[in-house]
Amino acid sequence: MTGAPLLRARGLGKTFGTLVALADASVEIRAGEVRSLVGANGAGKSTLIKILTGAIRPTTGEVEIGGEIVETGRPAEMLARGVACIYQHSNLAPAMSVLDNIFLGRQPTRGLGLLDRPRQRREAEALIARYEIDLDLDATVADLPTVKQKEVEIAKALSLDAKILLMDEPTAWLAHEEVANLFRTIRTLKRNGVGIVYISHILDEIFEVCDTVTVLRDGRVVADWNIADITRQQLLQKFIGERLAADAGAHARRSRSARGTGTVKLAVNHLGRKGLFEGIDFEVYAGEIFCITGLIGSKRTELVRSIFGADRFDSGTIVIDGTEVRPRNPADGIGRGVGFVPEDRHRDGLMLKMSVEQNLIMSALGDVTDWGLMRRSRIADMSRAAIADLNILPPEPHKEVAKLSGGNQQKVLIGKWLQIHPDILLLDEPTVGVDVGAKAEIYTILRKLKAEGRAILVVSSDMEEVMTIADRIMVMRSGRMVGIWDADAVTQQEIVAYVGGE
Amino acid sequence: MTTAHFSPRANAVLAFFSGRLLPVTLVAICVIFALIEPAFLSPENLIGIVHQVSIIGIMAVGMTFVIMTGGIDLSVGPVMAFAGVCAAYTLEASGGNVGLAALAALTLAISIGLFQGLCVAVLGLPSLVVTLAGMSIVRGTALLTGGPDLHLIRGPESFLFIGSGQISGVPFSVFVFAAMIAVAIFLQYRTVFGLTVLAVGDNERAAYLSGRRVRVVKAATYVLCSFGAGVAGIVLASQVHTAASTYGAGIELDVIASVVIGGTSLMGGTGSVPRTVAGVFLIGIMNNGLALMNVPIEMQLIAKGLIIVLALALADRPWQFSR
Amino acid sequence: MIRTARLPNRELIIVFVVTIAVFCWLSGSFRTTGNLENVLIGFSHTAILAVGQSLPLLLGGIDLSVGSIMALAGMAAFDAYIVLGLPGWIVLPGALVLATLAGAVNGVLIAKLKLQPFIATLATMAAYRGLTYAISGRQIWPEIATRPITDPLIVAFDDYVGHVPYAFFLLLIVFAVVQLLLGVTKFGRDLYTIGGNVEAARLCGINVDRAVIISYSISGLCAGFAALVLVSRMTTSTESLGIGIEMSAIAAAIIGGVSLQGGIGNVFGPVIGAFLLGVVLIGLNLVGIPTYAQPVLTGLILLGAVWYDRLLVQRRARAILAKQAANP
Repeated sequence: MTGAPLLRARGLGKTFGTLVALADASVEIRAGEVRSLVGANGAGKSTLIKILTGAIRPTTGEVEIGGEIVETGRPAEMLARGVACIYQHSNLAPAMSVLDNIFLGRQPTRGLGLLDRPRQRREAEALIARYEIDLDLDATVADLPTVKQKEVEIAKALSLDAKILLMDEPTAWLAHEEVANLFRTIRTLKRNGVGIVYISHILDEIFEVCDTVTVLRDGRVVADWNIADITRQQLLQKFIGERLAADAGAHARRSRSARGTGTVKLAVNHLGRKGLFEGIDFEVYAGEIFCITGLIGSKRTELVRSIFGADRFDSGTIVIDGTEVRPRNPADGIGRGVGFVPEDRHRDGLMLKMSVEQNLIMSALGDVTDWGLMRRSRIADMSRAAIADLNILPPEPHKEVAKLSGGNQQKVLIGKWLQIHPDILLLDEPTVGVDVGAKAEIYTILRKLKAEGRAILVVSSDMEEVMTIADRIMVMRSGRMVGIWDADAVTQQEIVAYVGGE
Repeated sequence: MTTAHFSPRANAVLAFFSGRLLPVTLVAICVIFALIEPAFLSPENLIGIVHQVSIIGIMAVGMTFVIMTGGIDLSVGPVMAFAGVCAAYTLEASGGNVGLAALAALTLAISIGLFQGLCVAVLGLPSLVVTLAGMSIVRGTALLTGGPDLHLIRGPESFLFIGSGQISGVPFSVFVFAAMIAVAIFLQYRTVFGLTVLAVGDNERAAYLSGRRVRVVKAATYVLCSFGAGVAGIVLASQVHTAASTYGAGIELDVIASVVIGGTSLMGGTGSVPRTVAGVFLIGIMNNGLALMNVPIEMQLIAKGLIIVLALALADRPWQFSR
Repeated sequence: MIRTARLPNRELIIVFVVTIAVFCWLSGSFRTTGNLENVLIGFSHTAILAVGQSLPLLLGGIDLSVGSIMALAGMAAFDAYIVLGLPGWIVLPGALVLATLAGAVNGVLIAKLKLQPFIATLATMAAYRGLTYAISGRQIWPEIATRPITDPLIVAFDDYVGHVPYAFFLLLIVFAVVQLLLGVTKFGRDLYTIGGNVEAARLCGINVDRAVIISYSISGLCAGFAALVLVSRMTTSTESLGIGIEMSAIAAAIIGGVSLQGGIGNVFGPVIGAFLLGVVLIGLNLVGIPTYAQPVLTGLILLGAVWYDRLLVQRRARAILAKQAANP
C-alpha cells in the first residue's frame, strides 16, 4: 500500500531556554501513506510540524528528504523540497479568484512581470484534473463553503509539486459531509503517491483515513503503529496515559438523569429566525444536561445565540421559569440568569491580554462593584475561589490569559460564567481544541453544576462527548429539529444516522 | 510554545527595558539637557515645563481611553480651536459670564465627541476615517462661525486666570491638568468603565457577549476625549487671550504621540493614564530642551518627528516574543 | 460570477451622471464649457492623488502625508528654479524623485520599522511640512517670494487642448499606468494578495516589504505630479500647499469603491470619485454655498462613503452566509 520513504526525521529535539518542547522524535513518511500524528496539547506536535515546515530549527537531530540531509530552519528550502503545510486558519486571499489563489504569489508571467493568464489557467486545469479536485476556477474564494476553501489550499500546495502534505486539524471547521469530501480528496492524493501527515484530535477520523499513527507524549514518540493493528482503546491509552482512559467510558452511564429534578427551567416554543432556523421546540429541566447535536451548518450555534440574546429571533417564544422573555442583548440574558460559553474562545470568549482575574469577573461586575466602583477585596475573593474550584493552573490571578494552556483558558472562560451563578448555562462546543485531560475536568465541572440543579445546554458535534455527558439529546438538521431522545434509549450509531439524515 | 529565541539573560535585560524604557529615557534626556544647559533644572523652568505640557497633557489623558479601545481621534485640534472660539463668543455675548462660556464650550466639545462616538460605536465605521472627516467638518464649521481671524478676549479677569493665573507660584493650568489626571486614573483603575474600556480594546466581541455595554462605553471614550479637547481649548484661549478657528493644526500628532510613547498600544487592550502622563512629559521636555538650546523651530519639528518615529518603532516592538 | 471589485463602479457612474444632470438643471452657469474647465483643472490633481492613494488603501494601509509631500516637492521645485536657477528639465524630474523618495520613506517606516501606516504617515505629514518650512526660499529671501516661475516646461501643465487642460492628460496617463500595473502584472496580483491576507502573502513567498515600499513610493510620486500641476498653475509654490488635501484623496478613493479593509478595488473608481467630489463642491459653490463649507462637505461626503463601504462589506458577508446556507 505504501511506497518508498519520502522523509525521514531522526532524533529531533527542540528546547526553548529551559523548556523542552520536543525531546526525541523520529518519524518516517512514505509515498502514498497517511500518517496520523496524535498527542495531547503540549506533547510536541506543533513543534514537530514547525520543524518540518522549516519555521524553526531543531536543537538536535536531522531531517532527510529523498535520501539527502536537508538544512533545517529554512521555510523556502522545505517548500522547494516538496513539504507543504495546510494550516488550521485560512491562508487564502478571500477577495480573489480560486485561480489566483492556487498560484498565490507565484502567478506565471511572461517576463517584465506581466501575467500569463492562459498558461495559469492551463496549469490549474491540469492540476485539478490530475488530482480529481472539483473546483470552479473563476469563483471568488470568499463565496466558497469551507471545505472548498480547504481544497483550494490543497490545490495550492500541490501546484508547488508538494510530495508531503502536513495537515493541521483540517476538519476542525468542517461539517460531517464536508469531511467525507475531504477524505475522498485525501485518498486521491494517496493514489498519486503523496505522503500525508494528518493531525487530529478525533479518533473516528484517524481510524477512517490514516494508515499509520505516531503518538507523541511529553515530547517523545511513544508509539508508532499500523492503524490496522490496534484498537481505539489502545490508542487512547497511549496518548492520555492509562488511568484517564479507563475512567472516561465507565463514568458516563452511571450519572445520567434525564429531566433532572422535573422542573422546567427553559422552554423554547416554535422558535424561528428567517433563513436560519424554524419550529424549534424543547424544554431543559433543572438538573439535566441537554445536548444539541448536528452538522456544522445545522444552525445550532445561531439557535443558542438567539436564546442568550446575542442575536434576535423572528417567531416563537422563550420561557424562562414560566415567564416569557425576549432578550435583546447579552446583558438581558445575563440578567435572567443565563450564561453562554461561546465556541471560539479566542474570538468570542476571552480578553487574552487581560489577567485571569479580570476575565473571571467580566460578566459578574455587578457583584464586585458598588455604583460602578470596583471593590478590590471582593474581586480578589471571587477570583481566588474560582481558581481553586476550577483547578486553573498556574493558580495566579494576575497571569495574562494568553499565557495559559488551551485547557486552562477554557476553564477560565467557563469560570467567568459560573460567577453569575447561572440557572441556565449554554455551552457551545465546550471542549473543542482542549486536550483529553482538560476535557475530563470540564465534564466533571458540568456534572457538578448539574448536581446543583442547574439546567445545562451543550451544543456539540463530538458524538463521543454527547454520549458521555448528555441526559437527553436533540438532533438538528438544516435549521430544523429532527427529534429529542433520552440518552439511555438511543445508541451512538442511531444518533449519527439522524444527524446525517438517515 | 512560542517562547523567545534569546538567551535567558538577554531576555531578562530586554524584559527590564521593555517595562521601563520610558522612565529610563525620560531620566536620560533630563540628564543630557541638564548637562548641556544647567538652567534646565531651575524650578522656574521645571514649573514652566508642566505649564507648557498641560494643554497637550489634558488632551492626551482623554485620548488614552480612545486608544485603549483600539480607536483613534484625529479631531482634537479642531475641537480645541472650536471650543475656544465658542468660549470667546459666549463671553462677548453674555457680557463676561465665565461659567456660561465654559459650559457652552464644553457642551459643544461633548456634542462633537458624541456624534463621532456614535458614528464609530453604533454605525461601526472606522474611527480613523470618522475622526479624519470630523477634523475637516469641525474645522470648516469653526471657520464658518468664526472666520479665519483672531478673536481677542479682553476679560473678565476670572477667565484669563484659567490660563495665566497662579496659585502660590504654580500656574492654574497645572492644577487643571492635575485634576484631569486624577479623574482619569480614578476612572481607569476604580470603575467598571475603565475595565470595560480595556476589555473592548482587547476583544470587543467577547466583551459584548459578557454582557458589557460595549457601544455605550466606546461612544463615551470619544466624548471624554472631546471633553479633554474642550478643556484644552478654554485653557489655551485664556492663556493667549485670543481664540481662532485655525488653532491646533497638527496638535493631534503630539497628543497621539504622547499616548503611544507612553506605551498604549494602537491595537487597543493595553495602556494606562500614568504612562501617558510620562509620555507627555517626555515630549514636553524634548520641546523645552530643544528650545533652550536655541534649535530653530523647523529643525525642532523635524527632530521631534524623528524622535517620535523612533520611539514609536521601539514601543510597538513586542520585545518578549520573537516570531 | 459577480466580480466584487467591479460592483461599486456601476452605481458610482450612475450617481455621477445623475449629480451632473441635477446641477445642470439647477444652475445655468454649471452647464458651460468654462465650468467644465473649472472641474477638470480643479480636480485633476485630486484624481491623481486618489489614484496614488488607492495603492496604500489596497494594502489595507493609508497615506496621510500626501499633502505635505506636495508641499515639499513644490517648494523644492520653487527653490531649484528661482533660487538655484536650474532649468525645467532638471527641476521637473528632480521634484518627482524627491516626492517618490518621501513616499519611499513612508514605506520603509511601515515595512521595516513596523509602524502602523496611519501613525507613520501622520508623523511624516508633520515632518515633511516642517522640512518644507526649513527649505523654503520664500522665508529666507522674502524679496524673491513674489517672483513667478516662467520656465515653459514647468508651467506647461497649465495649458489647454481645446477646453481640456494638460493636467487632465497627465491624469489619464497616471491612471492608465497604475491600472495596468494592478490589472496585468504579477506585482498587481501581489498587492491584492497582501491586502486580502498578509499572512498568506508572506507564506507564499511574496516580498511584502518591497511591495509596501513600492506602493507608498507610487503614492508619493503621484503627490509629486499633483504638486507640479498646482505649481504650474500658480507659477509659484507656498509652504501651505496641499494642506488637508489627503482628505479629498482618501474620500475620492473610498467613494471609488476601494475598501478600507484592503484587497478590494481598482483605480477607475477613485478617478470618478474625485470628479464626483469636484462636481458636488463646484456645483454647490455655484448654487451659493460659501467656501468654508467645502471642508465640511468633503468631510460629510467621506463619512457617507465609508458608511456605504461598510454596508457593502455587510452585504457581502450576508451573501456568503446565504450561499453557505444554500449548499451546506
